[in-house]
Amino acid sequence: MMNTKTHSLENMPPQPQLEGHTTLPLGGESQLLLEHRALRRNAILLAMLALSSIAFLGMGSMVLSPLQVIQALLGQGSELNQFIIQHLRLERLLAAIFTGAAFSLAGCLMQTLARNRLATPGIIGIDNAAMAFAVSSIVSTGISLAPSAMALAGAATATALAFGLAGSSGTRGYRFIVAGIGIGAIAGALTQLMLSQVDIDTANAAYPWTVGSLSARSSSMVYALGIGLLISLIACLIWARRFALLPFSDQVITGLGEQIKKIRVAALSLSVLLTGLAVAVAGPVGLVALVGPELARAMSGYRGIPLIGSAIAGAFIMVVADLVGRTLLSPIELPVGIVTSIVGAPYLIWILVRRSPRN
Amino acid sequence: MASIMQKNKQTLLQTDPLDTSLSANNLSLKHGKAHIIDNLDVALPAGKVTAIVGPNGCGKSTLLNGLSRVHMPSGGEVLLNGNNIHRVPSKEVARYLALLPQDTSAPDGISVAELIRFGRHPHQSLMQQWAMDDQQAIAYALAAADLNELKDRQLDTLSGGQRQRAWIAMSIAQETPLLLLDEPTSALDLGHQIEVFELIRHLSQEGKTIAMVVHDLPSACRYADHIIAMKGGKIITQGPPKDVMTKALVRELYGIECDLIEDPMTGSPILINIKRVKA
Amino acid sequence: MIPWFNRIPAQRSLLSALVPAVLLLALSCFLSLLYGAGAVGPLEAFKALFNQGSADAYFVVSELRLPRTLVGLFVGISLGVAGALMQAVARNPLAEPGLLGVSAGSTFAVALALVLGASAATLTVSVAQIGALVGCFCVITAARMQGQNRDPIRLVLAGAALSSLLVALTSLLLLYDERAADEIRFWVTGSVAGRGLEQLYAVIPSMIIAALATLYVSRPLASLALGEKVAIGLGHNPGRIRLIVIVCVALLVGAAVAVAGPVAFIGLVVPFAARALVGPDIRRTLWLCLPIGPIVVINADTLSRLVAQPAEMPLGVLTAIVGAPVLLAIVRARRLPTL
Repeated sequence: MMNTKTHSLENMPPQPQLEGHTTLPLGGESQLLLEHRALRRNAILLAMLALSSIAFLGMGSMVLSPLQVIQALLGQGSELNQFIIQHLRLERLLAAIFTGAAFSLAGCLMQTLARNRLATPGIIGIDNAAMAFAVSSIVSTGISLAPSAMALAGAATATALAFGLAGSSGTRGYRFIVAGIGIGAIAGALTQLMLSQVDIDTANAAYPWTVGSLSARSSSMVYALGIGLLISLIACLIWARRFALLPFSDQVITGLGEQIKKIRVAALSLSVLLTGLAVAVAGPVGLVALVGPELARAMSGYRGIPLIGSAIAGAFIMVVADLVGRTLLSPIELPVGIVTSIVGAPYLIWILVRRSPRN
Repeated sequence: MASIMQKNKQTLLQTDPLDTSLSANNLSLKHGKAHIIDNLDVALPAGKVTAIVGPNGCGKSTLLNGLSRVHMPSGGEVLLNGNNIHRVPSKEVARYLALLPQDTSAPDGISVAELIRFGRHPHQSLMQQWAMDDQQAIAYALAAADLNELKDRQLDTLSGGQRQRAWIAMSIAQETPLLLLDEPTSALDLGHQIEVFELIRHLSQEGKTIAMVVHDLPSACRYADHIIAMKGGKIITQGPPKDVMTKALVRELYGIECDLIEDPMTGSPILINIKRVKA
Repeated sequence: MIPWFNRIPAQRSLLSALVPAVLLLALSCFLSLLYGAGAVGPLEAFKALFNQGSADAYFVVSELRLPRTLVGLFVGISLGVAGALMQAVARNPLAEPGLLGVSAGSTFAVALALVLGASAATLTVSVAQIGALVGCFCVITAARMQGQNRDPIRLVLAGAALSSLLVALTSLLLLYDERAADEIRFWVTGSVAGRGLEQLYAVIPSMIIAALATLYVSRPLASLALGEKVAIGLGHNPGRIRLIVIVCVALLVGAAVAVAGPVAFIGLVVPFAARALVGPDIRRTLWLCLPIGPIVVINADTLSRLVAQPAEMPLGVLTAIVGAPVLLAIVRARRLPTL
């Protein structure tokens, strides 16, 4: 790497420099700008995610050492270990990573869009609405992908309602948030209503999922989420420069030559897509959307909008939370939503009490 | 400055920076159902500082927003180098016209240098994130606004005047021949106002065409080459400060009685002996 | 003369709003006895009310429907008054026991007591009240810590966070204990179904205390509405007023939760309606909350029986569906009125 760089420098015009960044020439006039802090942050977060994932795969009714876990992942080691890891625990790990990343990325987008760190999809009722729609399809039909589609529809409906009810103030300002709280309350009530109408076994089966759990997931929904997440991550990379403008006022964004509506619609759609798909897998584990971006931000200070960092941080939090939920009170399994609420809610209160969230 | 601007990419607006023109034809602007401005014609004199003055609610800021394509006209058109500004891709317009609005909220914890870098946005793309041009433009903007020593400071730790200079530096980095500013000195004390106005004059000498909404009439006279006086959405009069400023105009705009004298040092008009007109 | 409905609320006489409200309440109680649980039609129930129907009908009306109506009456009064008090002390029209996590505090306390083996009605009531008190303190502390630039909606967010924490903790307990889970599952959505009169008797003492305290505190509270400094200037002690109010709210909400589970949004809707009718003065609003609270709860309950026949819709669900739009209406108002 170093050699090719020094070599190519001899017959190329001087490369532009920027303190704290590396410019990566792509030939011709093209180049990418890589920020050291963001790279370092994402690398640390990825390492944390990797370590927690190995712990996640190793812990359970049969405890495996990290070495055994890695061997089993690579198709070595005893057949029993391979079976446990690849067939029993891996899908759940993927579900945790995907949902955590999706919730957190959706939260980061929504916070940026609303210019308010409290505006996450869970708080503005998108989670609950997605859940209500998904429950309605679980209660009434048996089609495996129906809950995902319905959850998406629910998320979109809630967003549209919150928008409509917030009126002229749009996504900015507290009206949007409180409109969302109201919508969330209605959706939560409707979910309770549906569950109270079905037989007790169905209700009991659905219960962990309504508080947020990875134990009731279905494989097809996990894959749907994985695809949605991949698309969203690529879209975020392509649009990162535009999303970075969202904290500015409308006039500044227009002045810099971007169309605000397009950026907002893109951010909102991604947020809704991710939340809907993730709720269909794990139910409303909303507070990850609040804590994930905060963790990513805390690790880098202000350097743009930490979209990718949020996704990794969210995945890490979800993996740890589910690991704790599975092992802490074993054999009772705590739904992951309860673990994140118990950790996330005090944190939310702390943000509220500590300082004004708007400045 | 001019040499940097000439390196702008080939576009359909391409002209000599000094020939860049911005004008409005029959422009009408509405806020909801309220007609703020009806059928207004205006052209900004090239290479000069234009101050738009008038009482509160006369449509100054609306006009500026209309000229900078932030406010969609309900009738008429805004012409940038003879092209309807809403027909030209917004990003291309942004390489010719920079806007400094009143609402300058910025992300938490952003540093001066990071803010200024956003000015390069219209010149960058996904595959061209940091070119030599960008580096030079930032260096120039930092020097022009005298911010080299403050570039790593966080924006919210600066004084009001320094912060406003940082925002102006962001529009300098945009390397546009046109710069529109909406009340750049509101909420600044006298010292900071002078700091900002002198920077604006300096930019004008470098060849930019500048238009600004100004509340303070004496400052407008002192720092502008051209005054546009508005009331009730109409232009009452326009021209060089010395020609335009009369007792009658001041009375019509603000409902005050005053005398005008010439500043012995600069020759710009000064208001003295100000009284409210009795009804 | 200006027609009644065109007058500024504060200019209407209290009586002109109170009398129709009480009449409406009587009608609502009557309807809730005519329609509802048990296979007895309105006509038979009507006869039974005047001792002319069958023995079956008499049994259904007096043993099933009457307690339920009384519970509705009680819950409506408690939550309506608690909401009005809470809003006055937080000076925030969105402060509602359900939204702010006070009800969730009681629910958690009750769940805890059930898991620890309690089952007597009296114990449940006091435990629920202690839980409500803790919830109240948390929220009011958060509200006080906001300091000068208080924003009505931040308090609601803090409450929502507290609620979600307490709900999570409650779920945690329920996972632990299947028996408690079965007992509590229907109860947590809020309902006045299947409640006996003995539960009502258990809450009577605390109701009396709360009523006396409310009477005592209503005048100082009205001056607190003008600001802390004004209240001090008028010779009141804001800290003590707040404390009394918080205890009152806890007694009322705890009792209501112990009897009917957490019924959300009543504390928001009722004072909102009362203020719309007679203006923001707490002394007038409180009186009007007395009939309006039960009107809302009893009608919601009657409706919940009719909508989903033969099954029932939990009351808490219906009040959320009715109440959330009111929340939105308050927020949509151009300016949030501070109290």
